[in-house]
Amino acid sequence: MTEEPCWHPDLLRRFVPTPYVFSKCDGPNRLFVESNDLEIALSVRQAAIVYRNRPGSLLCTLIRDMAGPVDCSEITIVSDGTLRVLYLGRGTILILDHERSELLGFIARNVEVQELVSSLIPALLDA
Amino acid sequence: MSFLSIDQTDLHCSMELCFAGAACDLRTNSSELARVLEDLSISTADTVPSVFRMRVVVDESSDEGAGEPHFRGLHHVVTASFGMSNVFVFDILRRTVSASVSAAIARDGPFWKEKLIPITLGVLGAAMGLVPVHCACLELDGDGLLIAGVSGAGKSTLSVALSENGFKYVSDDWTYISRRRDGIVAHGTSAPVKLMPDAVEHFRSLLGHSLQRSMNGELAYEIDIAEAFGARVERSCEPRWLVFPERTQEAGAVFTPISSTEARSYVNSSIERLPPQLYEAVAMREQAIERVAMLPTWRFRYGGSPQFAAKELREFVVHRRQEIYV
Repeated sequence: MTEEPCWHPDLLRRFVPTPYVFSKCDGPNRLFVESNDLEIALSVRQAAIVYRNRPGSLLCTLIRDMAGPVDCSEITIVSDGTLRVLYLGRGTILILDHERSELLGFIARNVEVQELVSSLIPALLDA
Repeated sequence: MSFLSIDQTDLHCSMELCFAGAACDLRTNSSELARVLEDLSISTADTVPSVFRMRVVVDESSDEGAGEPHFRGLHHVVTASFGMSNVFVFDILRRTVSASVSAAIARDGPFWKEKLIPITLGVLGAAMGLVPVHCACLELDGDGLLIAGVSGAGKSTLSVALSENGFKYVSDDWTYISRRRDGIVAHGTSAPVKLMPDAVEHFRSLLGHSLQRSMNGELAYEIDIAEAFGARVERSCEPRWLVFPERTQEAGAVFTPISSTEARSYVNSSIERLPPQLYEAVAMREQAIERVAMLPTWRFRYGGSPQFAAKELREFVVHRRQEIYV
């Protein structure tokens, strides 16, 4: 035992550093993107993802998850009030919090950024 | 693509439950699941003054059992999946768990008892002032004893030996601590005791049980302590002491007081860090941890069997209780 707190390992991968941070303004829409993957951060910013039903800010925290499972390509969306969650297999998980205007996610290593931006995120936002 | 809207589903089964002192507002479309969870619900006098919501949609057309667990979390949301058909979303800020599960999982009592309820308390507990501490808890005549230590320190074997030596059993691996006005309360979840294969040397009755693969991949005996050892089970108690057991090669037993700083450091090391978005939960949790760290804490070095250690611990506790009353 030591005097300084020795923290539990980050099993949920909550504290993966996200050094790539970008923002974009377009009229009333403001997009903030943070990621551990430069390509994801740039592509999401470039695509100017907006939460179409409610203009305003959208904060995206997207983690490229190299440790997660790579499995089937079945898409499941589960919605419960303020949260909507998209699963692509088990390894890719996108979470939208309507109230907080936050888009959180883990993207499995086999998922192309193009698919994320053009297909998965729109499917979640528009579901 | 499949789409499930839990809030648009008719969740006609509704009941108030209680797990480790935390009240649970359950809604589901499955009366079978409601019955399973009702059987696991434990009411205690010391209920945490907050409620978490559980919304579970059961897909009666799916019979997929629990697959490989996969957990991830960001900000205030944690997700858990056990195969494609069994997904759980925990919203810590709103104290809600929303789930879609198969019919097989809905009727799988051990899954809820051993996995999902402890996981839920571990994830949402922080927002309810309930701190999961990696320790066993036993009770003797109203006074609780917390036995802390990393995996392999002997918490479970000591718990079984103590329960054969007059103590009531509360928990053996994870104990949920909540604050109350004048102190703290320790809660158990009735999860099974997990004993390593070599425990059979000390508890021959384990020969009648089979080893199972536990969630972290270890082979272990996972047994109901009341059924297997006739232990008396207590759902909650007020902890008075915290003990860190250490097995040594030398015969005998030695108790050495240790500082609250060390106790605090241990508790912090056993809990998940929380992100800055959950600052209120962090503050609430720190207050409970502080109370645990203020308990009289001892390092207990012993050489010998768990039965020998239990006898020494019992004498120590009885002696400490006499000191308190004097």
